[in-house]
Amino acid sequence: MNENISVSPVKKSKKNWFSGQTAFLIAIMTLPVINWLIFWLYININSILLAFQNRTGAWTLSNFKEVWISLVEPVDYGGSVQLALKNTLKYFGVNVLVLLPVGLILSYFIYKRIFGYRWFRVLFYLPSLVSAVALTTVYSEFINPNGPLGELLKKLGADVPPEGYLARNDTATTAIIWYSIWAGCGGHILLLGGAMSRIPPEIMEAAKIDGVSPLCELTAFILPLIWPTLSTMLIFQLTSFFTASGPIILFQPNGDYQTMTISFWIFKQVYGGGLPTASLSSGQINLISCTGLCFTAVGMPVILCVRRLLEKVPAVEY
Amino acid sequence: MNEKFRKKSRKNTENEMLFRRSKKEKIFFGIAFAIMAVYAFTLLYSLFFLFINSLESSFAYTDKLTAAKNSFAFPEKLHWENYKKAFENLGFTSGTTGERIGLGNMFFNSAWYLFFRVGGNLFGCAAMAYALSKYRFKLNSAIYAIIIFSMTVPIVGTMGASFKLMSDLQIYNTPFFVILTSVSGIGFNFLILYGVFKNISWSYAEAVFVDGGGHFTVFFKIMLPQALTPILALAILSGIGEWNDYLTPLLYLPDFPTVASGIYQIKLESASRGDTPSYFAGLTLSVAPVLVLYACFSDTIMKNFNMGGLKG
Repeated sequence: MNENISVSPVKKSKKNWFSGQTAFLIAIMTLPVINWLIFWLYININSILLAFQNRTGAWTLSNFKEVWISLVEPVDYGGSVQLALKNTLKYFGVNVLVLLPVGLILSYFIYKRIFGYRWFRVLFYLPSLVSAVALTTVYSEFINPNGPLGELLKKLGADVPPEGYLARNDTATTAIIWYSIWAGCGGHILLLGGAMSRIPPEIMEAAKIDGVSPLCELTAFILPLIWPTLSTMLIFQLTSFFTASGPIILFQPNGDYQTMTISFWIFKQVYGGGLPTASLSSGQINLISCTGLCFTAVGMPVILCVRRLLEKVPAVEY
Repeated sequence: MNEKFRKKSRKNTENEMLFRRSKKEKIFFGIAFAIMAVYAFTLLYSLFFLFINSLESSFAYTDKLTAAKNSFAFPEKLHWENYKKAFENLGFTSGTTGERIGLGNMFFNSAWYLFFRVGGNLFGCAAMAYALSKYRFKLNSAIYAIIIFSMTVPIVGTMGASFKLMSDLQIYNTPFFVILTSVSGIGFNFLILYGVFKNISWSYAEAVFVDGGGHFTVFFKIMLPQALTPILALAILSGIGEWNDYLTPLLYLPDFPTVASGIYQIKLESASRGDTPSYFAGLTLSVAPVLVLYACFSDTIMKNFNMGGLKG
């Protein structure tokens, strides 16, 4: 908080100054606060209430039963939520264990001014900027059995399925995960690169004089120095524990070939609900809310604990 | 002049020392360079693939798909007319009104969608970030904690309740949905702007107060202009994000498709899929504004992002 505010030279008319400040704060904060009250708080409270209601608005616990059945029933017998959960955890694992470390490594090399670092910095961020609709279209064409990558793989002796990787139960999710890795590798360089660029050169210079290796430089010097940024990113990644997903709708608009994730399952239940042609949606708002509530109840304590732990790691002041 | 030269040469010496590499390191960085170059090539080639095949004839592209022609092959003749065809013919039929929505309408929808979403969100975030970082008042810590909590708590499955609210408020499938939901003071933009305002000295405000200026003058004439570069970077990045957002318009604005959501719906309509190169031309047109913007402002974007911790 700014300490100088109390020593404002207009102290003599303290009452006026204060009322001016209050009026100003009310004026600039009213809209965002109302927005939060309606579109965050009300929606979340209503979502909890909907979980305990049926379609007619009567109170019931049947939604929980339905979620449980969908969670424990084998996938082949309609356990759609179970399959969605499995896939979601795969995407979450990729986000935390692959994309974040790769982003960190790429940012390190760019920070260390590897040859062509300016180009790499711009190019690696491209997939985050180009429309996913365009990128997924290109990727689908690429891995088509007769597309550039398909042809290349065939020449290398790989057994490319004639129907394509995206049209098989055992390969579709893996193919989308590979897309997520390909398109998401550079997604973190903006924030990580920004954090690294703020490291005082004297510290790195001292490390250089001591002859530290690149690995040591990254783990023992850079990581602690960028910890506030990294921990924030990690917390955001953890927040998506049950909502991690690839752009499933762009590859399999109906979530076919066992590509369903929780967030896409929820989207699919709602999508088209208000249209006269509601065939796209099953419109089960209560079931969605109930599923969401169950996952939130499981995820929230875990993530709040992890956040506390992350915050306990002392940040280096510089 | 001399001082400037001395500073520059000192900086150069520092840089030289920081980025000087031993032989072992040179090999290590060489391998890293090779991997990074291959990855960069795949990214560039994907865009090139999209562009070059947008100039292909429809028959030739079908030949590529059926392996009758090498998929790496260049078009024998460049069909620039595909772009005209894309603009004139690409479209889909609205599920609610039954009207045909073309690419031109989608660009128009994208423009106002982007304007309200980015403007509203940046205003909301700047206002909240400024108020919380610069003023000490009773609810300050509580509001900050609520914002951080809202951002970090892993809430799943509110889409149903959100959809119901939009329908109840009768803003579903109307531009009012965009206008009313945009002025949010939470999110990534809030975090960045909170850091930006926290680092701006309060002495400027004190000088304005001495001159008889008020809080609005300080905010609009002193603080916002000082934070203009990061705000511009955020505006560009948020604008690009909104331009590419296909899920929100798909879900809440079926009659106002943006370029991203519309082009996805075109893909779904089997009739348009016969002419893939024209569809590619449409995709290239949808990507072009973003690439131009990024080419012009990549430095502004890259150098203005710093995010701290989430304590509070």
